[in-house]
Amino acid sequence: MSFDIKIDQGVEIPEVLQSGRVVAELAGEKVRLSLRVKSADRTAVAKALGFTLPAKIGATSSKVGITCACLGPDEWIVIADQDKGGKLYGKALKLASKYDMSVTDVSFRNIGITVTGEGAADMINVGCPLDLRLAAFPVGSCTRSVYEAVPILLYRRAEDSFTVECWRSFAPYVVGLMAAHRSGAAST
Amino acid sequence: MSEFRRPGRGLVDYDSPVKFSFDGKTYDGFEGDTVASALLASGVHLMGRSFKYHRPRGPVGAGSEEPNALITVTRGKGRMTPNLRATTMEIYAGKETASQNRYPGLGFDAGAFNNVFSAFFPAGFYNKTFMWPKSFWDKVYEPFIRKMAGLGPAPTEVDPDNYGSVYATCDVLIVGSGPAGLAAALAASKKDQDVILVDENPQLGGSLISSPEVTIDGLSAADWRAKTLKTLEKSGNVRLMPRTTAIGYYHDNFVALAERHTDHLPMVEPGRIRETLHRIRAGEVILAQGAIERPLVFDGNDRPGVMLASAAQTYLNIYGVAVGKELVVFTSHDSAYNAAFELAGANVRIASIIDARREVHAHLIEEAERRGIDVHIGMVVSGTKGKKRISEVEIYESVHNDRKRIKCDALLMCGGWTPSLHLWSHSKGSIKWDSQTGVYLPDKANENCVCIGASNGDFGVKAALDAGSKAGGGRKTYKTEEPDFGVGEVFDHLPSYKKSSKTKAFVDFQNDVTDKDIKLAVREGFHSIEHVKRYTTNGMATDQGKTSNLNALEIASKALGKDAPQVGLTTFRPPYTPTTFGALCGYRTDDLFEVTRKTAIDPWAEGQGAVFEPVGVWRRAWYFPQDGEDMHAAVARECKVTRDSLGIFDASTLGKIEVVGPDASKFMNLMYTNPWSKLGVGACRYGLMLGENGYIYDDGVVGRIAEDRFHVTTTTGGAPRVYRHMEDYLQTEFPELDVWLTSTTEQWSVIALNGPNARKLIAPFVEGIDLSPEAFPHMAVREGSIFGIPTRLFRVSFSGELGFEINIPSHFGLAVWKALFEAGQEYNITPYGTETMHVLRAEKGFIIVGQDTDGTVTPQDAGMNWIVSKKKKDFVGKRSLQRSDLVAEGRKQLIGLLTDDPKVVLEEGAQIVADPNQPIPMDMLGHVTSSYWSESLGKSVAMALVKDGFNLMGQTLHIPMAGGVVHKATVVKPVFYDPNGERLNVL
Repeated sequence: MSFDIKIDQGVEIPEVLQSGRVVAELAGEKVRLSLRVKSADRTAVAKALGFTLPAKIGATSSKVGITCACLGPDEWIVIADQDKGGKLYGKALKLASKYDMSVTDVSFRNIGITVTGEGAADMINVGCPLDLRLAAFPVGSCTRSVYEAVPILLYRRAEDSFTVECWRSFAPYVVGLMAAHRSGAAST
Repeated sequence: MSEFRRPGRGLVDYDSPVKFSFDGKTYDGFEGDTVASALLASGVHLMGRSFKYHRPRGPVGAGSEEPNALITVTRGKGRMTPNLRATTMEIYAGKETASQNRYPGLGFDAGAFNNVFSAFFPAGFYNKTFMWPKSFWDKVYEPFIRKMAGLGPAPTEVDPDNYGSVYATCDVLIVGSGPAGLAAALAASKKDQDVILVDENPQLGGSLISSPEVTIDGLSAADWRAKTLKTLEKSGNVRLMPRTTAIGYYHDNFVALAERHTDHLPMVEPGRIRETLHRIRAGEVILAQGAIERPLVFDGNDRPGVMLASAAQTYLNIYGVAVGKELVVFTSHDSAYNAAFELAGANVRIASIIDARREVHAHLIEEAERRGIDVHIGMVVSGTKGKKRISEVEIYESVHNDRKRIKCDALLMCGGWTPSLHLWSHSKGSIKWDSQTGVYLPDKANENCVCIGASNGDFGVKAALDAGSKAGGGRKTYKTEEPDFGVGEVFDHLPSYKKSSKTKAFVDFQNDVTDKDIKLAVREGFHSIEHVKRYTTNGMATDQGKTSNLNALEIASKALGKDAPQVGLTTFRPPYTPTTFGALCGYRTDDLFEVTRKTAIDPWAEGQGAVFEPVGVWRRAWYFPQDGEDMHAAVARECKVTRDSLGIFDASTLGKIEVVGPDASKFMNLMYTNPWSKLGVGACRYGLMLGENGYIYDDGVVGRIAEDRFHVTTTTGGAPRVYRHMEDYLQTEFPELDVWLTSTTEQWSVIALNGPNARKLIAPFVEGIDLSPEAFPHMAVREGSIFGIPTRLFRVSFSGELGFEINIPSHFGLAVWKALFEAGQEYNITPYGTETMHVLRAEKGFIIVGQDTDGTVTPQDAGMNWIVSKKKKDFVGKRSLQRSDLVAEGRKQLIGLLTDDPKVVLEEGAQIVADPNQPIPMDMLGHVTSSYWSESLGKSVAMALVKDGFNLMGQTLHIPMAGGVVHKATVVKPVFYDPNGERLNVL
């Protein structure tokens, strides 16, 4: 039986949301890996994977199509474009037999929403209580936080560009809040 | 123009006249007026009736401290707001406002008979009187009291307005924009920091707006204010927020600000946000809230026309309104003289200044005499006359018993000043009593916070400006010309010749508490101000006692013969002023009120007309009615088709945790009661998890994907706490284990297929897995693909039928579901919901944690000792299982029940007894936990937790229901269908 599968990220939300100069849109399909590595093996695992596992919590490393953020003392998340990340899971799985580490595929657990444009930080601050001034949350920062009732991962790609990641069933809530703010902000 | 207007004064726009209505009558005002200022300009002081005695009342203040002038404002359908202060409601064309707590009208109010009989309504009257008969309380007394003693009616319609909520961070948050706040903002703006300056009023500037005679650095107060505001606007790092109230001050300089966007506007475009709640985290907070003038407590002090002297100043200087033509000023503080002189300068006749003090600075008396104002030193106001407005005061001197009457149409009072400590108190800053001025002042800060200006007891413009500059990090000292703020004397009682039974001197205007009520409370044994407050309700009105707390404290401490600090001060709590629920909700209304999690397959179920039920924050398809079926019919059909052929069920909400690492099986051994070391790769096992207390915590099927990798499933509702429970033990008890946990609940969509045709359906689409029963037995997991999509395929069953749970990446969940459903038509496939799932599992006696267990059920109680390892040295809960009470006889145990009448479906939660003829209260043996109609068996089945249940097999128990019906049921083993599990093996 032939089967034409259409990927829709499993959520019903508008793909693009514009509020003044801020645009929120679905980041598209990504490969996401949760990596747990003991500190002794961090450098070796990074070398084998081909990108840095930053040592500082909240820091990220980036190369084309791959971002790696340190979320805890032994925890990293890797978010990669599909063409870059396709073989990453298999590669990391092999490393797991050699090093003290674990890798879990969470590609489909999350939805990525990019929020870009002047005032993007304000849109994030609608539901996220973090201090997003540049000095406090510089470009390249990534951390777990909340968006009102929803746990999120927040990554600052540029001064006016963020990625919000949340579990897929929470995405309509996050985007709903952004939309509510959009319609209010447009007229206030 | 009205005779009470003083054109040229105030900030109102005299070129923009505005008509609005109050109690159906149209009044004139100007843009910038409040309802109160415009009514006063029209000569109207009577704006409301009091809470308890229905006495006529007018505004006492001019701002948010107002206790009396509460009105209802209607802005269209669903937009009726009661209990708003007329003194803060800006008018616009066509605004509809109305007075409250009066019937039939404000001028004649039938409820005023309470006033005539007020001697019978002392503090505690309702508590003492309406005690008997008890049954009258709900139906008669309470509704009556609520109606009579009232504020405005609560709205009944849904609020159609939109509200917003945002977070922000700043270095310095300044609350209050008077001289102290402005100077602080100016100093702070010169540093590289983000500053927010908020003020509850529409205009920034606070007292500077109503201080025309003050100069600052050579500029008039008005010019200095304008210049400063312009500088701040230009600075780029100061955010000015008028019409914004700092309503609450929480831990770590977290301050809530309620900003009102639209209430002052006549036309608001649909969808526009009415109010925004700003949740601010500030590096430093500067509180410059100022001080509130204190009323004097004398007989008749609540008559319309009696108001605070500073309020009259505000009406004159902000709104260009003289509050009367002929005023009397009654004071115990110098500051009222300045108010009197200012009003005199605005062409208002000041009949007299009555000063309760025996000694007053000569220069004040000279200044008054120079203006032709009589000053009566050492005298007090002992009574007032006038119906809808004051017409006369009686003054009295106690030593010579002199009395005199003076005509007037307004009486200004000043009993000194109370620094506003509200937000300081929210932040848990300590306070100290200043006996000289009779006020509490800020003492030690609990947060990075300073309190400056009048709210710190530093009165006067220069003191405020200098304190502001210092607080903002500057060093500027200002040069000002200003009248001396002066000093005052605090009176714990004012002399009167009248019998106290004949007087009514109000302390709390809004709750109608008099000085007598407070003395009565003390006599009746209430010795702490907290108790006095609750007994008299002083300070418990919507104004939180802004004008009454300190007067009540003075009266109580005199009655007790103790110093004020020994009597205490009641605690201020957020919000500072009444706040709309809308602002508190912000965006979180309707769909955004709480998260509703939906699976990837949910849209399909919705399209099929499924009925949903909430499970935790998930919504799940409950059943799929067809052609007008009710729930009973739909569930019966879903059960039958599933058992006969094939059912499809969305199990995506099951919690999933990936347990990975070299020590994974060691960890599993510790977290679950049963052993995991020998579970082979590709095999599954049902796992039972206990809490430390030995009670059943969660359960689920676990598959071993690799030597070092387990795919753990949990209950839907239990997923977050099971993950937390595991992580908690891993980090605190077993940190030596090399194992890591990742929540994968949403990584996978799970499609459960149950029924004899389950294998036949998937066989053509599965690749890489040998589906034959020999290669893929019950309780196994395989990795392969279905429709080309990678899958973890479990052969498990929660129904007793041949079953598969197809895990696919959730983004493909809907597509795979649709494809299976289409292909399943051949087998009459039926989608089923959680209700059918429950019936099918109950027929098999499978428990649902949280339904058949309640946090006090051990594996032994549930008849599940078979799953508790005897060999393992340790697992969470093991030691508790040895506790004497957990191994004792007579515990409640999970058994099955079959009703004597097979058509009777017991009610879940119903109590079970041995002897229904026992007198009430009967000995209750337990309760029904699960109960369903079983279409497959043609009878009802139930499970129950019953005391000593295992020993009652075959016996009859009784389930008495409301209405006298008693059901009979027989105790059986809780396995009703296919007890030998043969149906799992269908080929």
